Amino acid sequence: MDSLYLAYRYITYNRIKTVVLVACITLIAFLPFALQLLLDESERQLMSRAVSTPLIVGAKGSALDLVMNSLYFGNERPETISMEAANRIWDSGLAMAIPMYTRFQARGFPIVGTAMDYFDFRNLRVASGRPLAVLGECVVGARAAEELNLEPGDHLISSPESLFDLAGVYPLKMKVVGIFDRTHTADDLAVFVDLKTAWVIQGLGHGHQDVIQLKDPTLVLKRSESNVAATAKLYHYTEISEKNIDSFHFHGNTEVYPISAVIAVPTDEKSGTILQGRYLSKEETQQILRPANVIDGLLQNIFRIKNVLDAVVSVVALATIMAIILVFALSLRLRQREIQTIFKIGCSRLTIAKLLAAEILIIVSSSAALCGAMLMVVHQFTHDLVRMLFIG
Amino acid sequence: MNLLLDFTQEISMFHRQSLHRVALCMAFVFIGATASTADSPLNIYVVNYPLKYFAERIGGPHVKVTFPVPADVDPVYWTPEVAEIGAYQQADLILLNGAGYAKWVGKVSLPRSRTIDTSREFKDRYLTVKETMTHSHGAKGKHAHEGPAFTTWLDLSLAAKQAEAVFGALARKRPQQKDTFMANFLSLKNDLLTLDSRIKSVVSNRNTVPMIFSHPVYEYLAKGYGLNGRSVHWEPDQEPSPGQITELSNVLEMHPAQWMIWEGPPITSATENLKTMGIRSAVFDPCGNVPPEGDFLSVMQRNVSNLEPIFR
Amino acid sequence: MIQINDLEFHYPTGNFSLSIRALNLARKEKTAVIGPSGTGKTTLLNLIAGIITPDRGVIHIAGTEVSRLNDNARRRFRITSIGFVFQDFELLDYLDVMDNILHPYRITDALKLDASVHQRAGMLATAMSIGDKIKRRPNDLSQGEKQRAAICRALLPQPKLILADEATGNLDPENKTKILDLLFTAVDEDDTSLLAVTHDHELLDRFDRVIDFRDFGNFGF
Repeated sequence: MDSLYLAYRYITYNRIKTVVLVACITLIAFLPFALQLLLDESERQLMSRAVSTPLIVGAKGSALDLVMNSLYFGNERPETISMEAANRIWDSGLAMAIPMYTRFQARGFPIVGTAMDYFDFRNLRVASGRPLAVLGECVVGARAAEELNLEPGDHLISSPESLFDLAGVYPLKMKVVGIFDRTHTADDLAVFVDLKTAWVIQGLGHGHQDVIQLKDPTLVLKRSESNVAATAKLYHYTEISEKNIDSFHFHGNTEVYPISAVIAVPTDEKSGTILQGRYLSKEETQQILRPANVIDGLLQNIFRIKNVLDAVVSVVALATIMAIILVFALSLRLRQREIQTIFKIGCSRLTIAKLLAAEILIIVSSSAALCGAMLMVVHQFTHDLVRMLFIG
Repeated sequence: MNLLLDFTQEISMFHRQSLHRVALCMAFVFIGATASTADSPLNIYVVNYPLKYFAERIGGPHVKVTFPVPADVDPVYWTPEVAEIGAYQQADLILLNGAGYAKWVGKVSLPRSRTIDTSREFKDRYLTVKETMTHSHGAKGKHAHEGPAFTTWLDLSLAAKQAEAVFGALARKRPQQKDTFMANFLSLKNDLLTLDSRIKSVVSNRNTVPMIFSHPVYEYLAKGYGLNGRSVHWEPDQEPSPGQITELSNVLEMHPAQWMIWEGPPITSATENLKTMGIRSAVFDPCGNVPPEGDFLSVMQRNVSNLEPIFR
Repeated sequence: MIQINDLEFHYPTGNFSLSIRALNLARKEKTAVIGPSGTGKTTLLNLIAGIITPDRGVIHIAGTEVSRLNDNARRRFRITSIGFVFQDFELLDYLDVMDNILHPYRITDALKLDASVHQRAGMLATAMSIGDKIKRRPNDLSQGEKQRAAICRALLPQPKLILADEATGNLDPENKTKILDLLFTAVDEDDTSLLAVTHDHELLDRFDRVIDFRDFGNFGF
């Protein structure tokens, strides 16, 4: 008895039919599993980070944009608030306030301006190099470093916001001083700088040659007793180095400088509640959010869509299964003569059933294997797929 | 619908579990941190000598205060090396003077959760130094680098407030030592306020008497005690240039001062020069760095004694 | 070898019926069955093979009373003891020549496929002059080669009886002779008998015995 061998011979002989059948079954099985895999990963990615971020304060507006930007460094740009928002929380004594400024990019990776406290809060450990120390330095997430091929001592230049932004932001050549350990979160894909460095990128802080002691006459427009007017030729540093760091300075009050959000880590449950209460007034321009609630809402919506998709997939699956049954029934009819022959030779009905079963078994198991392989491939990329789909 | 419900429940379960886990972790970190460091002194880094003095007076044996600026460098203009920045970042507590003191602080990354700006409480009372030159470039227009005045502690009532901020930070870090810290702080505050009253009483006789400050570092002293002074840019260890003499003469026309206040003992040629202009010298050491002898309090007491002849 | 007594059979529908009072075939006897269509030649083969069962009567083949076996036992008996050769060869397109020859071994557990069977299949194929074509599929073979492969399949289990249902019907005269030679050789060399339904009257004189259904009609002989 060699039903599997005969079935295998039959299947390989009818290659096209087999390929079509396997493809149909594979696809119809793959779709719901892949979807589930993606959803599990997105839930894991989105929720774990949301849950570990107690509160977020930002400008009033889309709660989702705010959370997506400050937790996952997505492309959404919530309206900025001022540094005062962070000081307000510090001064309340209710929570630790970690300012976040996620606006700029460097070679496709988000530049996250924040405070040292963020690294403690997220448990980010420097794998090689050292933590941020001086203005103009950056520490890079594990995957960003890998993809940009960066090591401590290399340089990374911030991307101009737009090509024609000539008057505003000068690209800043940042010094990579450290690489963080891999955390399998959005932190792996970010370039971290001190908040003040982010402000330098924005042009709020800058360095220049000491104008009073200018030697090159073409640089000076007008010099009077109390004022030296310099031409625009005056070189704006695109790199902060030991030599020029003393000339870097911020104009005006840094308390009104922009940030995109503040992560508030309350000292205890009660402080968190009190803090939330302080943002309830109608005149309030800021909102305070529990990211877990916002992400929960997002996931609810995704699950609702998933249910619809599940329904569609099950209808399609039913149709496919019926078509497959039809294919088998038709092939049985085509093989009537063969069945007659082996029947005459002396084989039992059970054997014929076994032959068919072996054929179905082979087709289904190859589909399962193929589907498994495809799911493994998807699994490899779920992290990035989820980023692509939900975070952008 | 049932499916949806299940998912919701699952999520909220997951959510709750994770919260618990986070809370547990935080509790462990907290317990771990306090357990491992409860006996060892708090590692404190400061940016000037007065804060070192305050922290040591309040903390006593429970603190180890590091002030890495060399004795011959003005802490205002000192810049730390990367390794020293790392040491600051690692400290349990970083005490800043605020008010723009130690410019390097604005150019490095420090963990704010462990950083205390001791003058933040009275930031609405910050003073600025008027610089003589402005400059402009690009589209931004004219701006002067008129920095903030930073020797806040020369107004001893403000020094007491800074000491209080130090006390608050220490008490938060080591709640179990709060009573000791409180007693030490009250003793320090008493010393500072006694000195404050003493200056006030010294000055009260003739507080309108005009004087010259050799350097623009006495804004808080002048404001706090109502002194009538104008600043020039003289260094105690340098002979005044003819330009500086001329500038002083110009100032004296409008401001007939008979005393110049110095940060440290001036060289003889300078005092001789001043004598010919009818100006006597007195030293009021801001004590930003560790004094060669004595401590913050004794230096300040000597400073007050040095002021007394002016208002007699 | 074959003993048939008082056999009666009729299909449930239609009015065809077959009755044979007595028919005996000796060992190594080569018998031809001739007669016009519809006279029951194939029905006789099917009755002997146990594919259909008689209404009455006894069929003995090599000592086994086939007519008294149950369905399962009849199948086992058929696949082990009877070699069937068909007019249309009835090879499976999706198997190569070798797999076609081995096919009976793969669809029953009454036969055991081992190395010696493989070896014998090879020898049979060589004897039938298709030894160089065992990896080909039936569609790549000529008609004569196809029938030779079918004969190999019928002979491999070393049957006690070979039933040939117009085995030469679709072949050219040259191949007809060859196939008949091969079948006769097999009967002579092995301990088996041949019962062949045929329309090829020019071949009849080579058989030991000819049964003409026209002479006996539906009433048997």
